[in-house]
Amino acid sequence: MLLANNISFYRNNNIIFKDVSLALPPQKIINITGANGIGKTTLLKILTHVLIPKKGNIFWNGKNIKKNLFNYYKDVTFVMDKQTSNINLSVIENIFFWKKLFSSIISKKEIDAILDLLSLDNYRNTPINYLSNGEIKKLELTRLVIERKKLWMLDEPYIGLDIETINLLNETFINHTKSGGMIIFSSHYVPDIPNIENLQLENYAQR
Amino acid sequence: MKFLINPNRFNQISNIMLTPLIILSVIALTTGLVFAFYLSPNDYQQGSTVRIMYVHVPSAWLALLTFFIMTVYSIIGLAFKTPFSFIVNAAVAPIGATFTLICLITGSLWGKPMWGTWWVWDARLTSVAILFMLYLIIIFLKNSFTNDSLGEKITAIFIIVGSINLPIIKFSVDWWNTLHQPASISKLSSPSIDPSMMRPLIIMTIAFTLIALIIAIIRIKAEISERKLKN
Amino acid sequence: MHSVNPILALFYRELKISYRNFSDILSILMFFLLGILIFVFSIGPNTEIFNEIGIGVIWTLILLSNNLSLRKFYQNDFNDGSIILLHMSGLSYELIVLIKIMIIWIFLQLPFFIIIPLAAILLNIELPNVNLILISFLIGSPILTSIASISGSMNLLNQRNFAIGSVIIMILSIPIIIFSVGIINASEEIVRAQLQILIGILFFFLAITPWVSAACIKLAIQNK
Repeated sequence: MLLANNISFYRNNNIIFKDVSLALPPQKIINITGANGIGKTTLLKILTHVLIPKKGNIFWNGKNIKKNLFNYYKDVTFVMDKQTSNINLSVIENIFFWKKLFSSIISKKEIDAILDLLSLDNYRNTPINYLSNGEIKKLELTRLVIERKKLWMLDEPYIGLDIETINLLNETFINHTKSGGMIIFSSHYVPDIPNIENLQLENYAQR
Repeated sequence: MKFLINPNRFNQISNIMLTPLIILSVIALTTGLVFAFYLSPNDYQQGSTVRIMYVHVPSAWLALLTFFIMTVYSIIGLAFKTPFSFIVNAAVAPIGATFTLICLITGSLWGKPMWGTWWVWDARLTSVAILFMLYLIIIFLKNSFTNDSLGEKITAIFIIVGSINLPIIKFSVDWWNTLHQPASISKLSSPSIDPSMMRPLIIMTIAFTLIALIIAIIRIKAEISERKLKN
Repeated sequence: MHSVNPILALFYRELKISYRNFSDILSILMFFLLGILIFVFSIGPNTEIFNEIGIGVIWTLILLSNNLSLRKFYQNDFNDGSIILLHMSGLSYELIVLIKIMIIWIFLQLPFFIIIPLAAILLNIELPNVNLILISFLIGSPILTSIASISGSMNLLNQRNFAIGSVIIMILSIPIIIFSVGIINASEEIVRAQLQILIGILFFFLAITPWVSAACIKLAIQNK
């Protein structure tokens, strides 16, 4: 269960948002919506403790994440708006790097299946800089499955994806929530998934 | 002591303090100059050139003092997130740089008649030159970032790193000097100094410190108002 | 310990990237050799002068080559956000800094052990002196890498003044140059003292660099 209490964030003394509170129990999805520049990415970064809020606390399973940061990180996958795959490595090398980095127990067969599903199997040994933006994004999303964490945080996951992959992603989300996972993501597009709740960040902005 | 970290309190205190400080510094400077030019003897070796010392030594003192103050404020600023620390750093760095430059120039002016050249790789002068470059880096580094609040924090970290490196650099330059040069070159300020020269030196040091303080106060006030305007 | 895997993963990845970009390392070595060549051209092929200033020339060029590694530390990982990923895998920023220093030292400084004797031959430096250079380089090079790490992390978001990073490296490297080059033409006792001082500086920098660099990285991440 992820709890956030009265989070306020300032940038250069300008209020971005004020007193945002949210609760994310298992099997639930939160979709952060709002116009550009409203602070969706900022909120996600605060929830992952990449940015530190001016006020407010975040609790994971009842513990303040500030004091239990690495325990919290053991349960979080964060897919940023940036593509963290390394351009000097090939697709499969990036995947194996993530697997090792997060001590994942995912098997080679499963990796093959994911690549097949995302139609990336032809690019296994292709360096990242030869891939299209959508394909790099798809590769980034494989981290969700590789890391096998409970809480997924995604920044604009739908951008750059084709309809097929969007459906696949929605399916993955549904499966994840069914198995007790939680998801929080930011998007302008509201997908048709059960148990989804919209968090309109406009309501917290100081105008 | 709250005025040392609170901009509003600082403004209040400095408004009261500024006029007496100016009067004091004028008195100190005039007596200092009178002592330096008329009431102190010529050096038996250096002649009248020794009077450069009355500018040189106070500048050197201020160059170091400013760096020390900046280090203290950097530590406070990073540890307690007080914005005033960065205001002080921004306001004070050019003052320190200027006094370091004065110290260098007067040293070189003194060197010409004494050593016959404008520049000698004397350990002390070299260290001051390095200190001057540290000041320049501090000023440049702060302006290198498009994000001001990041720039001043990174600069504060550099100031701390620089200040713990300063003794190492000083030590190494001294070491280098003893390796490469015989100790025949006379030092700018010899350790034994006659009381008749000590008096103007002390008065001038006080006068210079007061002047630096006044400039610092004015610059800090300007910096505070500038930031208030920006927000 | 749960954080062994991420360390190995990072190490392995950096190894692969460095291997892929091997021409980059060779270019730095070439920069070093070309620098020697240019020194020779500007001074003239005078063996006696070389013997006197050769070690200074070599160390100066090591320092200049070190400047080239400045952007290799954190810039890429910072720009694509993977440094946050590394952090989320359970590595503290301090640890990431230490690993990076180690990797950069292995890939960008160790090759100099091969190239320095070559440069020494070109400059007609006597064999005992070559040994001295190598010993001082062994101690001095991790210090240079630490300084480059500090400078690299400070300038992550510096978009206006690229040269200041190199300037910071240069000014912090002054003691290393002095104590490394000073061992030549010195008596045995002084050589030992200088090496000990150098080791002291090494430990000092190894102690402060992780904290300083990590603080700068955290600041950069929070202000992006």
